Amino acid sequence: MDRVELNIPSNPIFERVVRASAAEVGSAFGFSEERIEDLKLAISEAVNNAIDHGNRGEAGKLVAVVFEIDGEKLEIRISDQGPGVERIDVTRRVVDEANLEAGELRGFGMYLISELVDDLEVSSSHRGTILTLRLYRREQP
Amino acid sequence: MSDIIRREEFGEVAILHVTTTSVDAISAAAIAAECQDMRPITVLDFSEVSFINSAGISALLKFVVSARKSGYKLFAMHVSPHHQKIFKMVEMSRFMPTIEERDLAEYRIAS
Repeated sequence: MDRVELNIPSNPIFERVVRASAAEVGSAFGFSEERIEDLKLAISEAVNNAIDHGNRGEAGKLVAVVFEIDGEKLEIRISDQGPGVERIDVTRRVVDEANLEAGELRGFGMYLISELVDDLEVSSSHRGTILTLRLYRREQP
Repeated sequence: MSDIIRREEFGEVAILHVTTTSVDAISAAAIAAECQDMRPITVLDFSEVSFINSAGISALLKFVVSARKSGYKLFAMHVSPHHQKIFKMVEMSRFMPTIEERDLAEYRIAS
């Protein structure tokens, strides 16, 4: 198994470091350009969630990102050091007239992640939230 | 004057060339600030953009809101196939359809 681990402060500029790493890992895993773009976007959303909602932007709190390549599976775990969340909403979220009128212009991240990865798991406690993303090299049987 | 957006104007048209490669949490505020100065036809040019996330989409939605309030038309130009997929996923394309460079030619000539 190949493993890459990154720890970043809760500053959005460092999300770009994780994203660049995701591109390299995706390439090493043999993903197509399109799949690498999907991976970058899913990880970007997960890391920004960890920074904003998990660690609430407290720069002293870290976001840990672990990439593991295991055969045909690429697993990424994104952990924050926040107080945990009760639930994460991955229901379909699209732009519509109602949310434009209400000025609700955010909240697409989790829906995008759920659409872009093969498998998504969330575990949360008072010690933080871990989001696990899995992508497979081939279609799952 | 933003170093993230380069403006080009002719007649009723403004083309806002996004010059950053990442439309994300870092560039979002500077991009969104440009929605204060739209024209009746405003085109966002994504030819130099290689990455857009939901923080970036939120910034782009400020243009959608502003255009709707003013009765202006908003278009996207040079959107990569990946970003077209993402815009379609969140139904952004309904509010910011794509336009081709050649479709702007008549406005350039008229001005």
